[in-house]
Amino acid sequence: MFALKADWSQEIKKRYFTLDDYTGGEARWCPGCGDHAVLTVVQRICRDKQILPEKTVAVSGIGCSSRLPHYMGTYGFHGTHGRALTIACGIRSRRPDLDVWVATGDGDCFSIGAGHWIHAIRYNMNMVVLIFDNNVYGLTKKQMSPTSPLGFKNNTAPRGTILQPLNPLTVTLGITNVSFVAQTIDWNPAHLYATLQAAHNHRGTSFVRILQRCPVYSDEVFSDIQNDPSKILFLNHKNGIHIGDNVKRLFPTQREHDPSNMSEAYDIARNHVPVGLLYHAPQTPCYEDFSSVGRHMGIEDKMKGLNDALDQFAV
Amino acid sequence: MLNAIEGSQAIAQAVALCRPQVVSAYPITPQTHIVENLSKLVANGQFNCEFVSVESEFSAASVALGAAMTGSRAYTASASQGILLMAEVLYNISGSRVPMVMTCANRAVSAPLSIWNDQQDSMAVRDAGWIQLYCADNQEAIDTMIQAYRIAERCELPVMVCVDGFTLTHTLETLDMPEQQQVDDFLPPYHFSRTLNPQKPISVGTLVSPDYYSEARQEHHQALLDAQAEIIQADQDWGKIVGREYGGLLNIFGDADAKIGILCLGSVLGTLEAALQQGLVTEKVKLFQLRCFRPFPSHALQLACEGLTHLVVLERALSVGSGGIVSLEVAVALNYLPQPPKLYACAAGLGGRDIPLQILPKLLALTQQPPQPFQIIDLK
Repeated sequence: MFALKADWSQEIKKRYFTLDDYTGGEARWCPGCGDHAVLTVVQRICRDKQILPEKTVAVSGIGCSSRLPHYMGTYGFHGTHGRALTIACGIRSRRPDLDVWVATGDGDCFSIGAGHWIHAIRYNMNMVVLIFDNNVYGLTKKQMSPTSPLGFKNNTAPRGTILQPLNPLTVTLGITNVSFVAQTIDWNPAHLYATLQAAHNHRGTSFVRILQRCPVYSDEVFSDIQNDPSKILFLNHKNGIHIGDNVKRLFPTQREHDPSNMSEAYDIARNHVPVGLLYHAPQTPCYEDFSSVGRHMGIEDKMKGLNDALDQFAV
Repeated sequence: MLNAIEGSQAIAQAVALCRPQVVSAYPITPQTHIVENLSKLVANGQFNCEFVSVESEFSAASVALGAAMTGSRAYTASASQGILLMAEVLYNISGSRVPMVMTCANRAVSAPLSIWNDQQDSMAVRDAGWIQLYCADNQEAIDTMIQAYRIAERCELPVMVCVDGFTLTHTLETLDMPEQQQVDDFLPPYHFSRTLNPQKPISVGTLVSPDYYSEARQEHHQALLDAQAEIIQADQDWGKIVGREYGGLLNIFGDADAKIGILCLGSVLGTLEAALQQGLVTEKVKLFQLRCFRPFPSHALQLACEGLTHLVVLERALSVGSGGIVSLEVAVALNYLPQPPKLYACAAGLGGRDIPLQILPKLLALTQQPPQPFQIIDLK
């Protein structure tokens, strides 16, 4: 209630946000869908960091994962197919004060939106990009996606896919100005949380590929690494993703990897199923660092610069 | 042979009967079942075709364009946002006078997001230089698909066959699927006059200076207008084989001496026919199914509307900020009649809203008043 005290000051109660404040409509993904886990972790991070809901935007394209903005109690924009990243770039370009979370999938980002994926990484605007990669088009009911494994039977390739899947990690690592590349799994909430938290802490475009189970249309694609976690390569480093030893022990295969080492990151991405931080270059300039150069200068400053330059040629 | 079959499956089988060598598509509701069925036919060896499952509608149309340029019979299908994403390529295909056929499983356009039926998508690309044929039921969709290749190849123009999403694509009907031999007789192997040929090298789609652009556009425009004869001919010739005709450009039902007419596109015709049969109105009514929207059959419409006092145009799309799309063109065409009927322009069934039988008395009630500005008549 609005009230002034005797000394004319106003008592403003500190706001505290609970998970409910970050919750929108009831999530209507299928039971067992990995998207629920990601949504919960995003909401938990928002709560734990007490991010203002009115300063948070969830942006998506089209697909199952792109329903995420509906379920967030923040601003949301459900865009068109493949355009989540461009819309997010537009939001960032004018409102750098907002916290931007992009929800996109292997179809939305690596297929129809592939062009924007490459350039959004290059722009390196400050946002968290959540890739819900279930290796299948789920919303249109089981067609192959660029990351569908070889031989995966689906409704557009009934005899199985004929192409090797795209490797989003190696592609992203190859893009100029890349600054943060991580991979995690939806079935380990602690690792998912720690990874998204690190992504959120990073200034720049944080690319997080989440291996996400679709129990309806691609339930087998991750069963191999789920049943035998030793096939997952856990990346350990003091500058990497930090989780407790009790969680670490769930990953029998581990190696040290310095996330500043690009060539090693590329080798790991190419030859393993890693979880953790593959690449991190915190000093990578963001788009606004380039675009704001000279913006503060007035016409007089510019004239002075121009005259100084011309004076070099004065006889 | 009669079969109870889903619309999408029937369309896929009809496409396969036309023997296209290249199919390129990207799934989008409600078109998905068409391409899924085509890929199954290919995978099962029942359809010898290169099925290119691409990464976007933009690519789907582009692959089909490239394939058609090599002289192949090409096919693609899409809906809604997919049609809009293809828009640039649609102009490129038609402007290059490359024949091909695509199915548009009509769906509303975002935003707000809707996966359900209206005809905003195909209407949005009405000026792209494609022939556009709208089907009232799935039997017509099958027959039109086969006719479309004949029309496309004889006119060297692309043809978009529009079928209402879900209402037709996801509905099971008892349909007569033609025999392969019947289709082969109707659609012989085709030779594209400007196929890529190193012996006779040409460039297509090159830069045209202002000296020639207008003439190129006029030729394209005239080719579409001239295509009306081929559309009528294809309907008649195919009708002789299977015993079904759809009126060529404009299908006319109801009382021939009626003074009130209702013009519609697509599957809503069935609703209006059923309402008439059930005697929901006492007035005599003439129903027009505008089967061919591009080229716009002005002359056929003028002949058909002579003697009418009132004409209601019912659409499933609108030009936002203007009103009726079809009705505007109908008004222009009928303006040349000595005594044009009073025109009533309205839309219903946007974003998948059901059009019930009671729409018929509602439409006729409009004609009791002087013509009003365009309106959406089923608003809550």
